[in-house]
Amino acid sequence: MTRRENQETQDNIPTQPSPPPMQATLPSSTGKKTLVTPKPVDAQSVLKRLQSELMALMMSGDPGISAFPDGDNIFCWKGTISGSKDTAYEELEYKLSLSFTADYPFKPPKVKFVTMCFHPNVDVYGNICLDILQDKWSSAYDVRTILLSIQSLLGEPNNDSPLNTQAAALWNNQEEYKKMVEKLYKPPA
Amino acid sequence: MEEKTAKEPPTKVEDQTLDSMDDTGDDEIDKAFQCFICLDLFYKPVVLACGHVSCFWCAHMSMSGWVQHSHCPICRQTYNHFPSICELLHLLLLKTHPVVYKRREKQVLEEEKKNECFSPQLVDGLMTKTEHGLAENALENGTSEQISITDVLCTACKKMLFRPAVLNCGHVYCEDCVHTLVNGVLRCQVCQSCHPGGFPKVCLVLDNFLEEHFPEEYAQRKDAVQLRQQHARHAGPSTCESQNEKGSTKSARKDGLLRTNGIVTEFAAHIGVGCDSCGVFPMMGKRYKCKDCMESIGFDLCGDCYESRSKLPGRFNQQHTPDHRSWHEHGED
Repeated sequence: MTRRENQETQDNIPTQPSPPPMQATLPSSTGKKTLVTPKPVDAQSVLKRLQSELMALMMSGDPGISAFPDGDNIFCWKGTISGSKDTAYEELEYKLSLSFTADYPFKPPKVKFVTMCFHPNVDVYGNICLDILQDKWSSAYDVRTILLSIQSLLGEPNNDSPLNTQAAALWNNQEEYKKMVEKLYKPPA
Repeated sequence: MEEKTAKEPPTKVEDQTLDSMDDTGDDEIDKAFQCFICLDLFYKPVVLACGHVSCFWCAHMSMSGWVQHSHCPICRQTYNHFPSICELLHLLLLKTHPVVYKRREKQVLEEEKKNECFSPQLVDGLMTKTEHGLAENALENGTSEQISITDVLCTACKKMLFRPAVLNCGHVYCEDCVHTLVNGVLRCQVCQSCHPGGFPKVCLVLDNFLEEHFPEEYAQRKDAVQLRQQHARHAGPSTCESQNEKGSTKSARKDGLLRTNGIVTEFAAHIGVGCDSCGVFPMMGKRYKCKDCMESIGFDLCGDCYESRSKLPGRFNQQHTPDHRSWHEHGED
């Protein structure tokens, strides 16, 4: 059997960046017309899964995290996390954007901070460096686990490979660090 | 750029125990049988070697197909072989959740038609007319069928399954009985397929179900097995780990290198191509593609399965028959 990768359904979803061009890496020697048939995942099943997640999220009532589709497009969500107690982010609230592709949950959604966040693993554009959003992604993760992971990342950064070197350098001085976090914090509108 | 180590995803165990299990056929999904990937009721369940269950398509789509090892979405255990559907679980779900299961069947079939790619159609081969009738009946009455011990017997000892483990071919044995199957390789008694990798772990979804539905029988089996184990302990321990490597002919797949007689050969994978017999995905080394199968997904065998003249049907409902004799041989890409 040969699994086809899906191009068509991805095109159906508005405002989505193209996923990494997997097809381009295909050696031609497999001799398959890899783009002909969409693989057995379509926007319908993604829709269903996202709806289930939304229901579960609304029922769960996890403290400190929430998420909801942004407008009519269920493929774009807005999430909110609150900084955990006893961290520099305590009592601060951060907004994030999550955008899903037709490959979800087999590919991770693109997650970014919308609220400016001073953190070793977050860059000035809000990009987050977190393994579970990249190569350690698993289809059993969901919006809830993503937000909980980011929430715990706030208090436990990986300072060995920072996107924001200034934040990483300052981490050991928690008093100064907290000041910077608060200084650069703009509450979400 | 190194990334932060993954945190264990918060498990959903609490939800499972908190929620009531009385799914009598409405649209509520029984948490015990909820797929972690599509968040719906398992449909055509497959069980990975780590014991975790997911739907046929969810499991297939979760496999990478690009790199050698796929990881269980739940526990990250690596595996290379796409398991076959577990028929026992399939029938169990059909009986316990007739309405939801039928809804899933309809919904998945629609998607399959759209994609022109089908999962194995079990209705004719597996489900007898009576069972089919029962499901239809249940649809009308909104009742679910009683499960009896005969639905959950071990393939080998013919007693009720205790700590069930599912082989890659989908057949279910007691954890203890799996150990009796090993004779050089771990081979299924029913279909004679080799189980790749080490011993499969207990499928807890099924085990919990048995303990809950047949508490008395389960307790009896537990006592019997424990007694036997106490006797066996004197004969020296045999652990999964010690047999892991010799259990399989394919366990040499490591880091893209196949070691044969000390010679290291580097194989690239046939990206996105899997073996329809043993389920290895992606395929390594030689690949044989049937020229007579017209389905767009194609029918392929890996070198080992081609050599062993595997008679198993395709994994995607291809109409491959033993009359198909012309093969296109692809070398090692």
